[in-house]
Amino acid sequence: MPMTENIKINIKNLWFYYNDHPILEDISLEIPQNTITAVTGPSGQGKSTFLMTLNRLWESIEETRIKGHIEIRFGSDFQNIYDKRYNVSDLRRQVGMVFQVPNPLPMSIYNNIAFPLKLKGENNKTLGSFRVEDALKRSFLWDEVKDRLNEDARALSGGQQQRLCIARALVLNPQVLLLDEPTSSLDDKSGRVIEDLLLELKKDCTMILVSHYLDQVKRIADSGMVLSDRQMKQQW
Amino acid sequence: MDVKETIFKSVFFAASILSAGITLFILGFMIVLALPILKQGLFFDMLTGPWAPDHGLFGLGPMIIGTICIALMALVISFPVSLGCSFFIGILNPRGLGKWLKKIIESMTAVPTVIYGFVGIFFLVPLVRELFLKGSGMCILSAAIMLSILISPTMILFFVQSFSMVPQNDLNAVDALGGNTAQKFFYVVLPHSWKGMLTGIILSFGRAMGDTLIALMISGNSVAFPGSVLDSARTLTAHIALIIAADFDSIEFKTIFLSSIFLYIMTSFGIIMSRFSFKKRKTINET
Amino acid sequence: MKPEFFDRLFNYFSWGCSILLVGAVLTIVGFLIANGYQSLNLHLIFDDTRPLDAIFLKSQVFDGLFPAIAGTLFLITLSIIVAIPLGLATGIFLAEYCPPKIKGSFSLLFDILAGIPSIVVGLFGFCVTIFLHHYFYTRLFPCLLISALSLAFLVLPYIIRTTQISLETLPLSVRLTAPSLGATKLQNIFYVLLPSSLSGILSGIILSIGRCAEDTAVIMLTGAVATAGIPKSVFSSFEALPFYIYYISSQYSDNSELMKGYGACLILLFICISLFVFAHWIKKRLSQKILYRP
Repeated sequence: MPMTENIKINIKNLWFYYNDHPILEDISLEIPQNTITAVTGPSGQGKSTFLMTLNRLWESIEETRIKGHIEIRFGSDFQNIYDKRYNVSDLRRQVGMVFQVPNPLPMSIYNNIAFPLKLKGENNKTLGSFRVEDALKRSFLWDEVKDRLNEDARALSGGQQQRLCIARALVLNPQVLLLDEPTSSLDDKSGRVIEDLLLELKKDCTMILVSHYLDQVKRIADSGMVLSDRQMKQQW
Repeated sequence: MDVKETIFKSVFFAASILSAGITLFILGFMIVLALPILKQGLFFDMLTGPWAPDHGLFGLGPMIIGTICIALMALVISFPVSLGCSFFIGILNPRGLGKWLKKIIESMTAVPTVIYGFVGIFFLVPLVRELFLKGSGMCILSAAIMLSILISPTMILFFVQSFSMVPQNDLNAVDALGGNTAQKFFYVVLPHSWKGMLTGIILSFGRAMGDTLIALMISGNSVAFPGSVLDSARTLTAHIALIIAADFDSIEFKTIFLSSIFLYIMTSFGIIMSRFSFKKRKTINET
Repeated sequence: MKPEFFDRLFNYFSWGCSILLVGAVLTIVGFLIANGYQSLNLHLIFDDTRPLDAIFLKSQVFDGLFPAIAGTLFLITLSIIVAIPLGLATGIFLAEYCPPKIKGSFSLLFDILAGIPSIVVGLFGFCVTIFLHHYFYTRLFPCLLISALSLAFLVLPYIIRTTQISLETLPLSVRLTAPSLGATKLQNIFYVLLPSSLSGILSGIILSIGRCAEDTAVIMLTGAVATAGIPKSVFSSFEALPFYIYYISSQYSDNSELMKGYGACLILLFICISLFVFAHWIKKRLSQKILYRP
């Protein structure tokens, strides 16, 4: 059991509704800092939805509703992320997300990684290119793309695209990273590279990983949760 | 940042209000302009009575009958042909030819109506005149034939679309039971798609009623009540185009506002009807 | 025996109808080409004026189609300039901001606007002009500007619909990408959603251009005339190809004028079909890859 001062995310009595049907029922959970927490379970049970409650991304989807309490510790204090005054863009810069299918935007590799900086309004070119390089290095992609940063990102292989998406999430130095089956659309070898990458990222980020592969979960996760019948249960 | 969001949202909202407002304003403006004659309480007489300005009679009866006759006849000609073509595209599709027919029909939607009118005058009208040896050839029949060509793409594309929404499983079931193509159509496709087909029919009828140039150019524009399909007739749209040159303050001119209101309400009614037959399907998917 | 008989009948019927319709189309196009191909030359467009002189307005074209073609081009440009921002903004509002409750009434209104006969829109434009002429500005008459505005209303629903539908049909994965990286709603719309649906929106715009090019009923009530030369300002009357065709069909005095009518038909048909093909090409081939500047 983790110690209290190491807690990064604190979820209390979380309910989630889609079209007035409950998807998540009364979930309470504490997630320790610098760990990988895996969430497994049958498909279609709301694992992705659970991730989206942590960066409020569900708010972009119609006919959804939430009840409950989520706190994330940024710095020394816990922040209620559903506080009216809390800026949702700031939250999403601190809580990055990587999706099941790689979703590079239709632009160059460089611009993809620099896109979050542009959204934030950071215009310093030198600092920007430094941060892009850093993010690509941290996601094990730099050596493969450093000579073709201006090429269309969609020309990369699936595994490379997924690492690009991880780099894009990392460029703002998020403290939490949400990963929605990041390897399920990739072959085994590319999947392994991403697993190694995630283990490496543990020193900077707290990660929540939705995965179908039990062997993958066993390899990299610090603790495992199962989401089924709208309930979350600690497995190990 | 938030200010920018609010400004843009307001701009988008204002644009929508403006666009929607224009739609309502057109009707409102026409009603205001038609008020002088509406006030005289002759509304019903005007919709049914004959047109004889020399005798002070400004009834739109002949134009309304003319409009309905021409549009209805265009529909009657176009419907079976459209049905056959949509069978060809959506159900038979022999050797992939359906795709090509669909392309031709889609590109027909780009043909300007004035061209149908032009070909009508110089090709169809003389043909009708020779064939029936009666009148000038500028008649309901000629206009209806050209209009039927104009509206058939609308109808066919709607038919094909509703055929394509029939679940493949149901079609496979008929195939598995050894049903032939015609049986497949009558027992599976038709029950599934008649609502969509009805929408297509309603909208093409509206299109036939709303077209100006074909009727104006080849239906002869006579103001008498038509007696047969070889008689000349005037539609409401052509009436507007012909009376526009009259004095703005005359009663004649006021009648074209009434024509507009009639056309506006008829087409809107058709659109509201067609909306009832198209139900939105909601998909519940967990994300 | 009986079902087979019906099946065969069904087959013959489908083939027959298809052949009939394609035959009708071929007859129309063939009739125009057979009668009009001889008149298709530079003389038809520029009369005796040198083409470059005409294009740079050095000398006037009196008997050619050049003023009508130029008038149509001006008309299209003006109406599209009005219709695009209004249509895009409305489409964006409907797809991204509109509360579901009022979305229905809005889209019903735009469906109605799309269904209003064009002559009614033309009459509306005409009456507004008369109204303004009487009460505000006596020098205002039906003119290029009024026609263009009326046409803009006519094509507005097409642009609204294509914008709305292209935005609404974007997959959720595209929709969520930018917000997950901290984008605001507006940033998401302008940086990701609009560029991703550009091909759909663009093809809608091109189809609207085609509609502006072909419409006759609106412009015959709002300022198109048989002879006007190149319009000097947006407040002058103008010539247009479809109106020219209508005018010739009822007022031609000799065979050579009629031949010009055939020529005008072929040119207009060519313009409209090309725009149509171009719109489809954009929808299919031109992905956002080419249109999105990195």
